[in-house]
Amino acid sequence: MKELVEELRDRMAAARQGGSEAARAKHTDRGKLLVRDRVDRLLDPGSPFLELSPLAAYDMYGGGVPSAGVVTGIGRVGGREVVVVANDATVKGGTYYPMTVKKHLRAQTVAADNQLPCVYLVDSGGAFLPMQDEVFPDREHFGRIFFNQANLSARGIPQIASVMGSCTAGGAYVPAMSDETVIVRNQGTIFLGGPPLVKAATGEVVTAEELGGGDVHARTSGVVDHLAEDDAHALAIVRSIVGTLERRPAGAPYQLAPVEEPHEDPTTLYDVVPADTRTPYDVREVIRRVVDGSRFHEFKKLYGETLVTGFAHVWGHPVGIVANNGILFSESALKGAHFIELCNQRGIPLVFLQNITGFMVGKEYENGGIAKDGAKLVTAVACSVVPKFTIVIGGSFGAGNYGMCGRAYDPRFLWMWPNARISVMGGEQAASVLATVAGRPDDEEFKAPIREQYETQGSPYYSTARLWDDGIIDPADTRRVLGMGLAAAANAPTPAPSYGIFRM
Amino acid sequence: MHTLLVANRGEIALRVMRTAARLGIRTVAIYTDLDTTAPHVRAADEARHVSSYLDIDAVVAAAQAAGADAVHPGYGFLSERAAFARALEAAGITLVGPSADVMDAMGRKDAAREIAVAAGVPVVPRGEDAGFPVLVKAAAGGGGKGMRVVREESELEEAKAAAAREALSAFGDDTLLVEKYVERGRHIEVQVLADAHGNVVHLFERDCSTQRRHQKVLEEAPAPTITPEVRALVTGSAVALAKHVGYRNAGTVEFLLDDATGEAYFLEMNTRLQVEHPVTEAITGTDLVELQLRVADGEPLPITQHDVTATGHAIEARVYAEDSFHGFLPQAGRTSIVRWPEGVRVDHALEPEQVVSTSYDPMLGKIIVHGSDREAARRALVAALDHTAILGLTTNVGFLRALAASDEFRDATIDTAWLDRNTVPAPDDELPRVFVAWVSAMLAALEDGDQPFRSDGWRSGADPAPTIVELDRPVVVDRYAGRVDDLPVRQVYGANHTLTLEVGGELRTAVVNVQPHVAEVAYRGQRFVFERPDVFGDHAVDVGGGVITAPMPGTVLDVRVADGELVEAGQVLVVLEAMKMELSLKAPFDGTVSGLSATTGGQVALGHTLLEVEPHE
Repeated sequence: MKELVEELRDRMAAARQGGSEAARAKHTDRGKLLVRDRVDRLLDPGSPFLELSPLAAYDMYGGGVPSAGVVTGIGRVGGREVVVVANDATVKGGTYYPMTVKKHLRAQTVAADNQLPCVYLVDSGGAFLPMQDEVFPDREHFGRIFFNQANLSARGIPQIASVMGSCTAGGAYVPAMSDETVIVRNQGTIFLGGPPLVKAATGEVVTAEELGGGDVHARTSGVVDHLAEDDAHALAIVRSIVGTLERRPAGAPYQLAPVEEPHEDPTTLYDVVPADTRTPYDVREVIRRVVDGSRFHEFKKLYGETLVTGFAHVWGHPVGIVANNGILFSESALKGAHFIELCNQRGIPLVFLQNITGFMVGKEYENGGIAKDGAKLVTAVACSVVPKFTIVIGGSFGAGNYGMCGRAYDPRFLWMWPNARISVMGGEQAASVLATVAGRPDDEEFKAPIREQYETQGSPYYSTARLWDDGIIDPADTRRVLGMGLAAAANAPTPAPSYGIFRM
Repeated sequence: MHTLLVANRGEIALRVMRTAARLGIRTVAIYTDLDTTAPHVRAADEARHVSSYLDIDAVVAAAQAAGADAVHPGYGFLSERAAFARALEAAGITLVGPSADVMDAMGRKDAAREIAVAAGVPVVPRGEDAGFPVLVKAAAGGGGKGMRVVREESELEEAKAAAAREALSAFGDDTLLVEKYVERGRHIEVQVLADAHGNVVHLFERDCSTQRRHQKVLEEAPAPTITPEVRALVTGSAVALAKHVGYRNAGTVEFLLDDATGEAYFLEMNTRLQVEHPVTEAITGTDLVELQLRVADGEPLPITQHDVTATGHAIEARVYAEDSFHGFLPQAGRTSIVRWPEGVRVDHALEPEQVVSTSYDPMLGKIIVHGSDREAARRALVAALDHTAILGLTTNVGFLRALAASDEFRDATIDTAWLDRNTVPAPDDELPRVFVAWVSAMLAALEDGDQPFRSDGWRSGADPAPTIVELDRPVVVDRYAGRVDDLPVRQVYGANHTLTLEVGGELRTAVVNVQPHVAEVAYRGQRFVFERPDVFGDHAVDVGGGVITAPMPGTVLDVRVADGELVEAGQVLVVLEAMKMELSLKAPFDGTVSGLSATTGGQVALGHTLLEVEPHE
């Protein structure tokens, strides 16, 4: 496990570099701060930053778009959590690849779910034109960013933009759609059509600064509200703006308990969790290293033993934990559904520790109605109103992914450990099934590429590159990350629960 | 003597009371409105309010009301006022000091000089034929007021007029003296003690040459540069003078030692206990206040000249509320942290949360060290000043430290005018900034410590991010990696505002007080102040362009600049009358005027460009 964590840290460190050395030098030579330095300066001194999907677009697009060219995450400004979306102009000029769009939209979803103000640090050339078919036209494409801005603003979730570089064409709408906007003089520009396009369209020759520079927008057009001297000044103004925002009306929807560190050092997770997901171990060992005081009030310990359920606190936040301890049977599914109902009734956030190969198969179980019991679990998960957090600590296969709150079930956050595997079924099973269907059950030549495909696509890096999760985390950080997620989620109230039909 | 009123305040009042208490004498303090909560009021057995420490009637009345049979005047205030001595005598109260007649005689420099001559004491050649340079000074003066150095005859009349004016306003007496001016001299003074039975002893000499505009800064005993012959001359002269005038109690005879010739000249006699008396106490092992009280009580001196011996070397540093590195400006304010050094004598009356006003003497206290020899004492003084931390207001401790550590002081080459000719360089603020940044980052990390968004710079799958501390400039503190900007830094010790850091391999200790909007450090005695910008303050300063336009339609009343003129930020460029209002249009930043189109009396439309200020690159 330690090697996996080292690999993760190395890959993250590489991604955090952003663009090439030349691109970074060019950026800083213009007096601009690098994107992560901008984020550091924006946040409170020493604020942690829960970065979302730092390895987005990993190994995609020829490997040249680290972090998908945009840094997103949650940090503190003025003691309150805000969502930050910051373009990295050193990565392909900050242009939007499909994963850039997806990551931007995901950050807005996080802001919406948790009612967190959004700060956009804009420095982008707009859509990546060669891939316009994958970034422009569809529902969840570029236009959705502005749809979200309008609707987030409508819900009273502040939208603040700081224009620190180009903001061309569609990108111009990020500041224009924001509630309050800052621009950096002689650096930020906003226009629907840049000087080349203007010249082509009308023959007018104009500089970028005359067309849509800071002075123009602050003094003449009114597109922005504040004019800044440089990056640092702009970020100070943004901080000042956040300081003027009304505090969130309500605190946590539940009483916080005093925080207590786990009795077991979280780094010992490296030793208790086998790197090979096929090696069984007791998931309670994980829970003990995540929850306050290592205290876990277990529910139905003696029933449906392959699913561990119970109550605990994480950083003082009450949580209901649902953790796999083997394959799912009818009893475990029923137990899980019952427990989830309890948590919704009591307004307690749910934490899913996912390590599941799937539901039990076979005549006895099918005849026993495991499908309808599984459906009860899936219904309970789907209709849950409390914040849900999913951590894939091992395998995530088949319907187990659904019952254990996979990405499709809208957990507030979903993180993966570096040892995690995710696919509709195991590579071996998929190869066998497909070989059987094709009538070549023993054809190794047929099966090998299928196995290989599942191996590749089941990797957490393949997942995180495509935003199937919010990031791969060091297992030792699980408690911290979960705590930050809970703290962020506590900004939004919990509605009353209601469920679809539980098939009895 | 059973009840002693101490007609003073501050450290000297406390010092007198300490000895009085040890001798079983009841003490009475006096205090003014400003001093209601002052330390000397609390230290006394009883306290009486007076309108002013200079009000003779009020002080005598307080002594009578308190049943005091003696008054110790300390130094300053009424200590050398013959009228006070007479008023006490009339009231039947003993003054711990000489008689009013002696004060009168010695208080006037011309009279004192004549007495000195009569007693066979060498004096400074006098008269306008003493040869230039000469010193013009007030006959009744002291403390540098009414003094002028004149190097050429042509300047003499004007200098005398100015000195007379100052003397008149300071002392109510414009009588002047003109005498030979010693360009490079040392200030040597001899402590004498006389009883009512004709016994006079000296307690050796002190050297107070480290002065700034006649204010003593560092004082030491014995004098480091004089020969045994000169020592014998000055001590013998001092005793002779005291005997000649029938002196009683403690007094100090001051001499000027000419560096060029080695000659010593009588300057004046101070008829009171001196600020710097502790250095004499240190080397002679005496308690001068005790001796003063015994002599005042009519006892014979318990010591003979033979008993008086000098051991080792003592140095005193005077701590003033002043900004020594910015024109020695007097400072006022409220102290926050006050740390005096341990293991050395400190006579002070300064506490935390004390308001220091400019109403009284700016001296806050004295640090006195005693060593086996001068170098040992000097090193002890540097160490003691390093361990002195006064925050909340600026003091001269850092200056004293730099001075004590200087080669010039080490080599005893500082004459009385050295500080007026030389500048002690201000200490660098680089290291203090490191301390403030480090503590600020540490405090940020402690805020909200029990929640997951605590400010420890956490980053997923990476080392914690450094903390950016906004001071006068942003400082990047990486506590995890042990760096502040580019300096390797490790914390060695930190508790109760004292922080020891290893910076670039060397251990450094400072006292740090970080508050929301300001941070202070005391490092090597010097106080450094860093503003902490309000990160939520209004940063939307006007970064206006240089184009100055008419904000309203109106008439140009005045054009105050011309094309090509250099202007400063805030300077009025054009005055406009519009809607019955006068508007002054000011330069947004330093720059050069260009494109001036406004003319006086001209009508301008809204937004009309009047001129442009081009910023300096």
